[in-house]
Amino acid sequence: MTNNDRLTRLSAHAVMVALSALALFPVYWMVQTSFRPPNEIFSTSFWPSAPTLDNYRDVMAAMPILAILWNTFVMATATTLAQVATGLLAAWALVRWRFPGGRLAHSLIALSWLVPFQVVMIPNYVLATKLGLLDSLAGLVIPNAAAAFAVLVLYNAMRGFPREVVEAARMDGAGSLRTLLEVVIPNLRAPLASIAILCFISAWNDYFWPLLLIRKIENSVVQIGLQFFMTQEGNDWGLLMAAATLASLPILGIYLALQRQVVESFMKSGIR
Amino acid sequence: MIRRKFLAIAVSACMALSGTLGTASAQMAESVTEPVTISFYNYNLATAGIGREATLELIAAFEKANPMIKVEPIGAPSNEVLSRVQADMVAGQDVDVAQLVFRDLIYAAEQLGAQPLEDIAGEDLTAHAAGFVPSGLALGQVDGKTYGLAYVFSTPVMFINRDLFHEAGLDPDQPPRTWEEVKAAGKAIAEKAGKHGFFPGAYGPTDGTFVYQSIVMSNGGKVREGNILAFAEKDQADAVAMLRDLMDAGAHARIDVGAHLDTFQSGNLGMFLYTSAVLNRLESAAEGNFELGLAPMPAFGEKPTAPTNSGSAIFMFSQDPVKQRAAWELMKFLTSDEAYTIITTKIGYLPLRLGTLDDPRYLKAWIETNPKYRANLEQLERLTPNVAFGGPNYRQVENMMKDAMTEAVFGTGDPHEVLRAAQERAQPLMPN
Amino acid sequence: MTDTVLAVPHAVPRRALPFRLRAAEPWLYLVPALAVLVIWTYVPLLKAFELSFYQWNMLPRSQPRYVGFDNYANLLTLPDMRRAVVNTVLYTLGLLPLSVGVPLAVALLTASLKGPMRNVYRALIFVPMIVAPIVAAIVWRWLLNEDHGLVNAWLRGLGFDAVGFLRDPQVALWTLVWITGWKLIGFSTLLFAAADSAISPSYVEAARMDGARPWQILRDIRLPLLSPTILLLTMMTILFGAQWSFVYINALTGGGPLGSTTNVYYLMWEYGFMTMSAGWSTAAGVLVFLVFGFIALACLALMKRLAVYDE
Repeated sequence: MTNNDRLTRLSAHAVMVALSALALFPVYWMVQTSFRPPNEIFSTSFWPSAPTLDNYRDVMAAMPILAILWNTFVMATATTLAQVATGLLAAWALVRWRFPGGRLAHSLIALSWLVPFQVVMIPNYVLATKLGLLDSLAGLVIPNAAAAFAVLVLYNAMRGFPREVVEAARMDGAGSLRTLLEVVIPNLRAPLASIAILCFISAWNDYFWPLLLIRKIENSVVQIGLQFFMTQEGNDWGLLMAAATLASLPILGIYLALQRQVVESFMKSGIR
Repeated sequence: MIRRKFLAIAVSACMALSGTLGTASAQMAESVTEPVTISFYNYNLATAGIGREATLELIAAFEKANPMIKVEPIGAPSNEVLSRVQADMVAGQDVDVAQLVFRDLIYAAEQLGAQPLEDIAGEDLTAHAAGFVPSGLALGQVDGKTYGLAYVFSTPVMFINRDLFHEAGLDPDQPPRTWEEVKAAGKAIAEKAGKHGFFPGAYGPTDGTFVYQSIVMSNGGKVREGNILAFAEKDQADAVAMLRDLMDAGAHARIDVGAHLDTFQSGNLGMFLYTSAVLNRLESAAEGNFELGLAPMPAFGEKPTAPTNSGSAIFMFSQDPVKQRAAWELMKFLTSDEAYTIITTKIGYLPLRLGTLDDPRYLKAWIETNPKYRANLEQLERLTPNVAFGGPNYRQVENMMKDAMTEAVFGTGDPHEVLRAAQERAQPLMPN
Repeated sequence: MTDTVLAVPHAVPRRALPFRLRAAEPWLYLVPALAVLVIWTYVPLLKAFELSFYQWNMLPRSQPRYVGFDNYANLLTLPDMRRAVVNTVLYTLGLLPLSVGVPLAVALLTASLKGPMRNVYRALIFVPMIVAPIVAAIVWRWLLNEDHGLVNAWLRGLGFDAVGFLRDPQVALWTLVWITGWKLIGFSTLLFAAADSAISPSYVEAARMDGARPWQILRDIRLPLLSPTILLLTMMTILFGAQWSFVYINALTGGGPLGSTTNVYYLMWEYGFMTMSAGWSTAAGVLVFLVFGFIALACLALMKRLAVYDE
């Protein structure tokens, strides 16, 4: 029996080690390539024979990468906050009340997830231009201030919330907003954290909308920065990998710092 | 309901604009006397490195020489720049000068409303074009009028991995001049060196139709005649069938078409037909790995080759007379002897003005230290304009043609029939 | 058996709360989200629907021309359409093992893992999720290249023939499926592990007391209780699989070699969105929206029937 247990444990470790290696190797390859000189780019050795920081120096020289990373951070944070806030409010309305039009609103929100971005791109660009949002971080955030994903996940999370507690708050005379803020939200930390991290990742990785809206490199975000090293005349691999590493570092850092909470929040909330 | 209102607005907007159109393009101002700002949509600015630096240097030099004119540069990647220009026109932004690739030439002229330079600049254009290569102006012409001024462009050349030639027992100093010789050399490299023989960067996904068109036109064909598609006709299809023959013989590499540059840079490809604009990049990749050689594009027997242009032209969209003047001055500057000295030495594109090569103030010293560019410069004498497609569905038509020629070479069907079928499907999408 | 187990825990009261509050109140909460979605998604979508019956490039200088259903007809009769539809199904079927099957198996198999290593693993397998898609695409292209790629170097080292992962029309689609799935495996595994660990130990204990074997517990308790997560991820894969793989098709193959990797979404992109014609692109968008919207409704209806909730 114990032998059997050990075998299960061992095979479980083996599976996870394999999966982790698979997950990490491409990332490792990106990082080590960023240290290669141009003529060693296509070598299949595991580590450059003459590692160099030239690629990073060149990336820094080619664009204000720190400002770009900061822009991206601000944009992704603002988008995340907006999506979580609008999501909380909308989900609360759908969970708290049954009302005429509620189902319609719910479906409208859900179906908006399926609208291909390319369809709304040009009309939105025209609107953003008219509103003076061209070349601004606000223009990146505002059209993305609500996300079907956030609403739906929070809706499911709130639905699982014990009725009795909400009822008790109501009995105590708490209004719906106070109940949301003081009773529901504090108990939704886990799903909120997991939604926030997913919103942040998707905002950080957004590409098409900033590509259209941003005109000056100093106002740009990091995915556009990556495009700087990809051309019809071929990719500048060393620079591209250095830029990609820089683009991934902050989000990787945030993830590692919050890793325990993030994983725990996923474990607790089990998005559904 | 929405429809009626929306269209009513759209249509009235059209009317309003077309009403002003006639007067706006009447006469370019004599000179710029008040400060004016013009927008310049440019794709070199959207990539890091020498292309961007040289472009900024050009703009700075222009502004210094023309203190009244300020240029607002707007960068967008080359495959996005047209959408950006179009989106900005739809959004009512002023587009003054734009660098667009040659495939969009007719669309820019007919749909986007690029200004015909003969009407705008008249004799000034003739004078300015005096030093251009023989077909220089023709590169940007639609129905006899110049809409685009050829700007940064190059032609296909054959890059050679000299080490692989040695390994295959070939003489890299005698690179293949004809397709027959390419076939023999390609087979030798595949068999004796165990690497890929030949590959043309003609299949996309990166925009490669200029290489394809160069091959087709070198065989005396053209991908369309007027509004009638012709890429499945005799000589045109024979050229593609020739590539298929190279493939069947094992001389043509069967590789990931999106990674051809990587395959060559990693030393796995003997001959690579692609734009000369990648020379700098290939040189730095080859350094210490293999010896890089350069040859003109191969010919069909004794027929002269017809290299076509990759790259871009600059277009003027300004409506305002003063801005037109400012835009025209910028366009002239960007295609001047001084500009090509920067463009050619820094970025590696070809000079539109061959006179610069004999002038010690410009490119004489450069060509003497960089003789390998001569193979490419000789081709400029035979430069044949890239054929763009017209009509609202031009991109769809071009897609169909490109997909068909790729299938004709890589697939199993008869190349002539594959092309014929595609041509019949695409013809209804052409304008009448 | 499952029914009796499930009947016990507190079910969500489906009945509405007695509401004497002002009818407008819920709408106040909905307004921020709805306003954003209406302004930035639905109004443009209606405009797009309108435009899809015209031939127009949206430029103020040109006239829209009414063409009826021509744009739709042109798209639906594209020569690659049939293959794109078949491929879309293949992508979805290929993704399901990576987004549902393997993660489920891994989560169940590793549920017994304890201690610090468990957290380390869970942290590591999430990493692909945060890599930008474009970066994932170019790194994989590199690793998988036939001539200079590491994977083929290993294959050759082991005595196998090189594989043209992105070159061979027989293989390329599955390569893209793999790259798409690579980003999802870890994430899905986390979701399954989460759902699995949320199963009340008392059920499992009770079953064990009754003498149920591990596989019986798996079949009769854990899997049914995981069914909401299984169905959710399956539905997400069906609805968004084509979109997820789009990034990689666009960056890596452009639908090739020989059209073998194109799917509905990419075809719409190539012949719709990438062309300068508003009619084609809006028709493509409306088609995609309608088809996937219909599938979504079908999936939701199915989910309501199949899912087993424990709440």
